Amino acid sequence: MTRSIPRGRTVGAALLAAALAATAVACSAESPSTEAGGTYTVWDPYPQFTEDSDWVGLLKDCGTSAGVTVERTGYDTTDLTNKALLAAQQGNSPDVLIIDNPVISTLAEAGVLTTTAETNLDVSTMEPNLLGAGQSEGKTYGVPIGANTLALYYNKDLLADAGVDVATVTDWPSLTAALVKVKAAGKKGITFSAIGTEEGSFQFLPWFWGAGAELTALDAPPAVAALTLWTDWLAAGHAPNSVINNTQTTSWQEFASGEYAFSENGTWQLANAAKLDFEYGIIPIPARAGGTAPAPTGGEFISIPVQPDTGRYATSQQLVTCLTSGDNLLTTDTTLSYIAPVAAVQEQQVAANAALKVWVDAVKAAKGRTGDDLGTRYPRISEPLWTAVQSALSGAQTPQEALSAAQRTAASATS
Amino acid sequence: MGIDVTRTPRSATVREAAPAVPTAPSARRRRPGGARWAAWAFLAPVVVYLIAFYAYPLYRNVELSLREYTVRSFVQGGAPFAGLDNYRAVLAAPTFPQALLNTLVFTVTSLVCQFAVGLLLALFFHRHFPLSRTLRALFLVPWLLPLIVSASTWSWLLNSEASVVNAGLALVGADPVNWLTSPRWSLVSVIIANIWIGIPFNLVVLYSGLQAIPRQLHEAAELDGAGGWQRFRWITWPLLRPVSAITLLLGLVYTLKVFDLIWIMTRGGPTDSSTTLATWSYRLGFGNLLPEFGSGAAVGNLLILLAVAAGGCYIGFEHRRRLS
Amino acid sequence: MSRPTRGWWRTGLGVMLTGLMLFPVYWMINVSFTRDQDVRRSPPHLFPLDGTLDGYRAVLGQQLPYVGTSLVVGLGTVLLTLILAAPAGYALAKLRPPGGGAIRFVLLIAQMIPGIIMAMGFYAIYLNLGVLNTVPGLILADSTIAVPFAVLIFTAFMSGIPDDLIQAALVDGANRLRTFWSVVLPVSRNAIVTVSLFAFLWAWSDFVFASTLAGGGAHRPITLGIYQYIGNNNQQWNAIMATAVVASIPTTLLLVLAQRYVAAGVTAGAVKD
Repeated sequence: MTRSIPRGRTVGAALLAAALAATAVACSAESPSTEAGGTYTVWDPYPQFTEDSDWVGLLKDCGTSAGVTVERTGYDTTDLTNKALLAAQQGNSPDVLIIDNPVISTLAEAGVLTTTAETNLDVSTMEPNLLGAGQSEGKTYGVPIGANTLALYYNKDLLADAGVDVATVTDWPSLTAALVKVKAAGKKGITFSAIGTEEGSFQFLPWFWGAGAELTALDAPPAVAALTLWTDWLAAGHAPNSVINNTQTTSWQEFASGEYAFSENGTWQLANAAKLDFEYGIIPIPARAGGTAPAPTGGEFISIPVQPDTGRYATSQQLVTCLTSGDNLLTTDTTLSYIAPVAAVQEQQVAANAALKVWVDAVKAAKGRTGDDLGTRYPRISEPLWTAVQSALSGAQTPQEALSAAQRTAASATS
Repeated sequence: MGIDVTRTPRSATVREAAPAVPTAPSARRRRPGGARWAAWAFLAPVVVYLIAFYAYPLYRNVELSLREYTVRSFVQGGAPFAGLDNYRAVLAAPTFPQALLNTLVFTVTSLVCQFAVGLLLALFFHRHFPLSRTLRALFLVPWLLPLIVSASTWSWLLNSEASVVNAGLALVGADPVNWLTSPRWSLVSVIIANIWIGIPFNLVVLYSGLQAIPRQLHEAAELDGAGGWQRFRWITWPLLRPVSAITLLLGLVYTLKVFDLIWIMTRGGPTDSSTTLATWSYRLGFGNLLPEFGSGAAVGNLLILLAVAAGGCYIGFEHRRRLS
Repeated sequence: MSRPTRGWWRTGLGVMLTGLMLFPVYWMINVSFTRDQDVRRSPPHLFPLDGTLDGYRAVLGQQLPYVGTSLVVGLGTVLLTLILAAPAGYALAKLRPPGGGAIRFVLLIAQMIPGIIMAMGFYAIYLNLGVLNTVPGLILADSTIAVPFAVLIFTAFMSGIPDDLIQAALVDGANRLRTFWSVVLPVSRNAIVTVSLFAFLWAWSDFVFASTLAGGGAHRPITLGIYQYIGNNNQQWNAIMATAVVASIPTTLLLVLAQRYVAAGVTAGAVKD
């Protein structure tokens, strides 16, 4: 065996060289098509829309009016960040990329995206609080395609039975008081999602910000107050233990069972809400001392990744403009169950469906997670934050301990 | 039944004894050069394949782990060489001891339980009885489900709030258990699900291993007055050893890299209580808005080292067994 | 005389055990008939009382092409795996080249590399070769799960073939390729079926490669079809579970067929010396 190894090694080395050469040839042979017209690639995080959907139809139409063929690929949203990074690394980015808003700062940092100034995209009509998530150091890296945010859905029938008047729920104490009454009536209080992913941070932020806490000081008293509110709910049985593992869908399904009075959930559930067996209503998430808590904005941005061939930007710009212009934006946001990022279109949406009013208000009050000039520091803060939430809710640590640990981690990761 | 996985490894280990050592004198002393060339001709496709599809991704992964990558340098290139910094950081992270311990507990417990249950079931089904064929075939169904579905189903069954298992516990008067949401139970829950998934494979392989044991041996022993336990201890168990070894090895191979099951059921949480090296690597590289490629790759490579160590132990063990 | 009674006692126990084992599967079927608003009811319904066929309607409307893709990918993976692994197994078992032991060790380790690490490397290669989102690309990737295993199985199996059988063919003037084709392969039928079955099952249930390498293409396998119902913000559980039920049907059939095929045991006798 020993005597045979050298031979194996030379053969192996020769083959390796051959394989690498083959790869290199393949790399250099490949180059994007640059003919006039041609094919433009679009990546979006909406795999649920098939080729015959309205969304894809709209994309194709925009391609036709720009004189090109659009080749669209829908990826799962959690995969899209890595795919976009890898594609950029290989110099093979799509022409148009639609991506979740907190990712924009990461991709911009990586130098994957062009600025709207470079590609002549007009963002002047967009609401500033929504546009904020796509901005970093004074530059804008994309156009919001639509927005969503969080609010409290409530079960009207159940609250009526428990003798709760929802109009009295305006701050944390009154919300907790309502939960106590619901529990006394033999029902369950509130469900939300505190899973150990970005979703968990997303759901915690309205309470965190609503207490007046800042993402730069995770262990400050207001932050501890917000986490204590959640842990107390769990301890008192106002919220189920399953929230620790709930995705937003799971918590919605719990609410849909009719056993829960409240559910913290998003704009996108409106279509499902229509299918509920009971009457539901929506209130904004109350801040600690009353008023509406700022909720984080969700929703995607549409942006133009950097291309080796800058001649492609003009057509990409036409595509983006087509997708985000008045009527098309209305179509898109209706399809996605999103609130438009443009005030005029929001008015059209409310005119068509008065129930959207509360959401339009919520979106106006919302703020971007990567805003406050956090940019790529946000992901480094968010992960310790959701870990702390999990740790406190599962009883491993007290809220103060958990958040102090989170602050230490975040501080060392962002310094 | 004979998906004869079984006859395979069996004949392997039993008959292979001499040939496995390449330097052993063999019958083909004739035309050794010709055989050697022919051997490489037959092997060439697989070797090229291994280099292209294993060596390259692996090389990339090692490269990733030795550099200080930010998202920017990942895309634009020019990440500074960092030596073993990523490894040092990973080894010093508080998650590391927990993840290593969890990986070991998860792997060993899963392996032992899968094997024990699989063997008991194989012995049970080995005695033919009415419907035994049908029931045995039904036992294989869990194997056919895409993992994403079985994992989701388990997280359903074990949910704290509205789960069947807790409803069952309530029926017998026990308190509900927070299977997936308490640090004490989350690892147990994923292990239970993993054992469930592994049982069919163990059953199939061990059952066919039992089939391959000549019936006459048992009959002779029975005539000599050996009881059930003695027959198992002195005939079944020793003759099943080669098959057992291969079953455990394949089980190890697939248990060590389990990640989707845990990720779907608990995301490694709460607070790392069910994090293994595989899920940790995934979380670093993919589970966050801001991927940490370097550390993710480093954890992945540590996992591969663990696999190499396990493979080495297995081979050493086999070698010693053959010599004795 | 007492045997049958004892047998029935075993049947009773067997049914109970099978029931326990299959309970999660039952639960999956139960959910596939459950309405969205009932899936988290507490305590859960043991039977889909207000059953719905929505899940199956969605599946039959949308999923059949995915089943087709998965079949093609599965069969392609089986073929590729056999082509690569059978000759290698023969070489390692019977021709014993220098370095064979090392190759075997590498194969053993290769199996333990988590798919997700491989997938990232593949993605970069595929992007440059332009085979992302294609059926051949997916077949190639899926085969990496099965090839190392298959070579080890073939090696193990073929080393059980008597040397005399091969020597006889060589003496008759057949070259090694011919010997391999007309002597070794036919007696290795059990190993071929085993390897094919595993390769097919793995390709069928692969999710990591499918989502990384075929995530957005027109040709998506069924595991991604399932993922289609796990949307960005919403999951249609009855459709997911209904898809899983539909997806298990071909594999169940295959398992039954392969079982019968091997049970015939044509070659089992031939291999036993």
